[in-house]
Amino acid sequence: MIYLAKEDIKHTLGKFIVTAMGVGMLLGIVLIMIGVYRGMIADARVILDDLDVDLWVVQEDTLGPFAEASRIHEDLKFTLKGYQAIDKSEAITFQNIQIPFHEKQLSVMAIGYDVYGSIVPINTKRLIAGRTLQNDHYEIVVSDKTDYKLGDTIPLGRDIYTVVGITHGTVASGGDPLVYVSLKDAQTLQFTYTNKRIQTDRARGIPSGGDAHLVNAIIATVYPSYRVDATAKTLRKWLHKGIYTREQQTDVLTKYVVEKASKQIGLFTVILIVVATIIISLIIYTMTLEKMKEISIMKLIGLPNSTIVKMIVEETLLLGVLAFIFGNVFSHLIYTKFPKNVVLQAPDALTLFIIVVIASIVASFVGVKKVISADPTAAIGG
Amino acid sequence: MSTKQAIKVENLNKSFGKGDAFVDVIKDANFTINKGELVALIAPSGAGKTTLLMMLGCVNEPNSGTMWLGDEKVFENKWLTKETRKIRREKIGFIFQAHYLIPFLNIIDNLTLLPQANKVADKESKAKAKELLKYFDIADKENAMPSQLSGGQNQRVAIARALMNNPEIILADEPTAALDMNRSVDVVKMLKKIALEQDVAIVMVTHDDRMLEYCDRIMKIENRSVVFV
Ligand SMILES: Nc1ncnc2c1ncn2[C@@H]1O[C@H](COP(=O)(O)OP(=O)(O)OP(=O)(O)O)[C@@H](O)[C@H]1O
Ligand SMILES: [Mg+2]
Repeated sequence: MIYLAKEDIKHTLGKFIVTAMGVGMLLGIVLIMIGVYRGMIADARVILDDLDVDLWVVQEDTLGPFAEASRIHEDLKFTLKGYQAIDKSEAITFQNIQIPFHEKQLSVMAIGYDVYGSIVPINTKRLIAGRTLQNDHYEIVVSDKTDYKLGDTIPLGRDIYTVVGITHGTVASGGDPLVYVSLKDAQTLQFTYTNKRIQTDRARGIPSGGDAHLVNAIIATVYPSYRVDATAKTLRKWLHKGIYTREQQTDVLTKYVVEKASKQIGLFTVILIVVATIIISLIIYTMTLEKMKEISIMKLIGLPNSTIVKMIVEETLLLGVLAFIFGNVFSHLIYTKFPKNVVLQAPDALTLFIIVVIASIVASFVGVKKVISADPTAAIGG
Repeated sequence: MSTKQAIKVENLNKSFGKGDAFVDVIKDANFTINKGELVALIAPSGAGKTTLLMMLGCVNEPNSGTMWLGDEKVFENKWLTKETRKIRREKIGFIFQAHYLIPFLNIIDNLTLLPQANKVADKESKAKAKELLKYFDIADKENAMPSQLSGGQNQRVAIARALMNNPEIILADEPTAALDMNRSVDVVKMLKKIALEQDVAIVMVTHDDRMLEYCDRIMKIENRSVVFV
């Protein structure tokens, strides 16, 4: 049995492989793009999963701290505790800050929590060195991405913080590493102004200091014997606040925060796939053109179209599959080099594989059309 | 109808184009060619030799007339079958001025490609290919690529390819044009031998008068008519 596609490719192997590598890189980028999206979703869930609370109480008519500014009084946590269904409830702050990083600045998300409270937002499984916060002041737990070591000091605002713990894999939905400070420190960082600002504020007649007992959200857990959504409903009725269950906050994160990014990535992915299809089509078209003489002769001596078409389609499929394999290798080689979390998943690769197969079949049409319309006497001339 | 008949044409006509571009090539051709015959086809350049050959090979469609290949009527003002290519691959062997072997297939694959399309078992067609290569004195080249063979060797492979489907008819368009005198005579003698041994009708276009002495009959195109001399 002679496999025309195999023999033809064997004849121009180097060229074929280099071509497949080129298309493969394109497909690799598609995989990375999908991975970036998956990474964003995974990152977005880190905070929620680590906090592991049932309810989020946020400023009325806002979607909560992940989507927009939310300010709420710290003492609301006591009000909440008064409800029968509520087990634990604590105040929490989120703020973007800059910390010194190798002579530059690194943008991180700082989570402030009550060190003596009942909910610790640090997932001890992610703690790779040191401990969680134990003192009300000047302690900080940082993500290993910040490159700080235990005992290092970090100047923040007017104070100097000591690193007491290192976590791994903790990121905010935007991809920024997380750091943890005490609630009091966080409030100082968020609501204390510089001396100059206080001076000018005073000159304007604005009272200085502001209200330092604000936080961004109150988080709470519900006793297992109570239903979370029913509790949320009750709270909504009595408190004029935004009440979200964990699922609803997850939705906010993925829908509102990640959605735009995912649309953008989705569009890029579609464009890249279209480009890959066009490139494969062009390659197959030129490969077919290069063989026109042979194709004419094959038709002249009586080989059926099916034999020749089979060769073209098989070559296209092989190119697609090979490019897909190269794409996977390529993406696995480089994905760790990206600053943001890239999550490569087998089901995504499988989907891409199916798309590549379909795209290859579509791409082979141009070659097949050329074969069918080829004049059998073209090669022999007069 | 005689079983000796390989090709028969009646009132065959062929022209190309319309209006200003109109060219009349063959007018009212009537002839019969028998199995075992080696017929030379001679005419000046542009007279229509290739055109005639391609009609006999069911590649180009005549405008009108009737044509039989063997005992089968294949054309009567139109093709009587949709699959002229099937006729070609089952009944006809083609040889051209250049060898036109498939460059990415080795010699044995070049030979067995057509039988494979005819659903001949691999073993059988391989055996036949080897036998032919031996006959043409290039048995050692079966795994070589066409680019590794000389012009004469490739031309012999091309002739072997034309024989692979046990054709009733071989159509050869200037098969010796690219070869030197000695090789040309060899090829024509070989064709003569094949015609006799395999009972094949061979029509061979040639520009070389020295080849004519090996042919059984000489066919000419004169003023668009096909005549024998
Ligand atoms: N597809 C075509 N369309 C239009 N005219 C054609 C076509 N094929 C051949 N002709 C014309 O038919 C005539 C015969 O051409 P053909 O190729 O049969 O000549 P030939 O005898 O084989 O010549 P040569 O010895 O140069 O090979 C020429 O005038 C040519 O221009
Ligand atoms: Mg010619």
